Amino acid sequence: MKLTINTPEGTRDRLFAECLERRQVQALLTGLFRQRGFIEVSTPETEFYDLFALTGSAIAQESMIKVADPSGKICVMRPDSTTPIARVAATKLKTVPLPQRLYYEQTVYRAHGNGGNREIPQCGVELIEASGKKADLEIIATAVDALRVCGATSFHVELGHAGFFLDLAARMKLEEEELEELRALIEGKNFTALGALLAPHKGEPAWSALTRLSHLFGGVEVLQEAQRLSGGSQELTYLMELYEELSSAGYGPYLRFDLGMVHQIDYYTGVVFRGYVEGAGEAVLSGGRYDNLVQVFGREAQATGFAVDVDAVARILPPVVLSKLKTVIHYDPGKLAAALRALDGSSPGTCELSPARTLESSCNLAREKGAKEVLVFEEAGERVVRI
Amino acid sequence: MRDRMRIALTKGRLQTRSVELFEQVGLDCSPVRDPGRRLIHSLPNYPLDVVLAKASDVITYAEHGVCDMGIVGKDTILEHGGAFYEVLDLGFGVCRFALAVKEGTDFYGTYKTRRIASKYPGVTRAFFEAKGMDVDIIKIEGSVELAPILGLADAIVDIVETGATLKANGLIPIETVAEVSARLIVNTASMKLYKAQIEDFLTKIQQQTA
Repeated sequence: MKLTINTPEGTRDRLFAECLERRQVQALLTGLFRQRGFIEVSTPETEFYDLFALTGSAIAQESMIKVADPSGKICVMRPDSTTPIARVAATKLKTVPLPQRLYYEQTVYRAHGNGGNREIPQCGVELIEASGKKADLEIIATAVDALRVCGATSFHVELGHAGFFLDLAARMKLEEEELEELRALIEGKNFTALGALLAPHKGEPAWSALTRLSHLFGGVEVLQEAQRLSGGSQELTYLMELYEELSSAGYGPYLRFDLGMVHQIDYYTGVVFRGYVEGAGEAVLSGGRYDNLVQVFGREAQATGFAVDVDAVARILPPVVLSKLKTVIHYDPGKLAAALRALDGSSPGTCELSPARTLESSCNLAREKGAKEVLVFEEAGERVVRI
Repeated sequence: MRDRMRIALTKGRLQTRSVELFEQVGLDCSPVRDPGRRLIHSLPNYPLDVVLAKASDVITYAEHGVCDMGIVGKDTILEHGGAFYEVLDLGFGVCRFALAVKEGTDFYGTYKTRRIASKYPGVTRAFFEAKGMDVDIIKIEGSVELAPILGLADAIVDIVETGATLKANGLIPIETVAEVSARLIVNTASMKLYKAQIEDFLTKIQQQTA
């Protein structure tokens, strides 16, 4: 039998700087979340498939990685953290007064047809049982700060609203299939095909707004254009109110809009947003309001939140430079305490103990590893041998 | 802010047509026409760099954001898939995917599992799945027309332009699987981060192709 020892497709070993970079982003994000009053929860790596089937998750069944539970039921590697946390909020936290601010730092697993990472470390927050503008303001501001605290310089968070598209579509005479096709074309910014699909509906009330919808992204001016094209809608007014409030708090320069952001319209019920950072080929942060998810588990609670793709953020930040080994410590029997004291007093990564018995071997080791000196603790005291 | 955008063009016929289109809207494409050994070509009078690549690589580059845009055939998009914005139908490179059978055979008139040869197994699978038909798909890399002649397959799914090659080999197209033409695709993050630059380019192209 031929055994395979390399890592499965989409997974990899991470070495040294890559680990530190990930840890650094995690520490910055979780530090911010704690500062804002969020507390950590952690959910299992594997869950019953039923959980995600029940909630009509936007993640396709074939994208979930299945494992067999000893009970015979099918489990999946956690494909998303929001669904398990909604379960926690509705069950374990039943007696806890709401709203609850929860954060997590855990990996989600997704199977991709061709390439792509199967393991995606995420840090995210969920604000459970908080409806209305103040909750949205808090979460959007935290999303901007999450990218800022990581050290991203050129970035923005883009807001959309699930209701705007549905409002426009309701003003048209569309078959259900047409509606889904329309949604996909707007989401994919397929200008040509969108124009063609809507051509027979020319003259219907929302025609001009829908035809332009995939172009309606950019600064706050797109809200005004949308207002003009659609003759107004409560979602646009709401986005404008959010923008004004966030601008007065200094967040204006980081905000953009995309009214053509119409993904997962069965899941998201209000404001949706994504964060883009220069240097990353796709969104590094995504979130929105999902008011119907928690009640699936038996407790009514409107909620909003977002997740940050930790690796994607880590990749665009300046690389962590590992500290170089400077000193190798050689110690004689009885001198362990002194050796450890010296080791603990040096900056991490610059100093290590030599496991060798003789000073000569320790010097050889230091030379091989590129250290500059050997610090010797012996009966006679302490001395330094330069390499 | 990056000041130059990068576009990947599919080598070959789409490249020629793309360059013609760019020149019609006033872009100086002389570096692309005379590439020498260089792989990236900077247009002198417009902030755009051009990369030439195989069709499926155009999608890969645009998807990963190393190129902001790409020009690629719908055939490759259908087969390859991927997450990007497919913004414009450029109207050239027009052809279609067709199901073709040996002249005189009744493809649907049997319950026997049909065997289909194609360079595009993904497109073929999706087509027959939508019909609820189980078929055996055989991936062929070269001349697909050979498969029915040799008795390897009952039919083929392939790109058809004039139908001349099919006819010469005793095959006739019986059904259109999908219409194909060149598409302009845009990386999702680039669209958002460099909106002004990309829209400027798209507007030029759109005015010319409309």
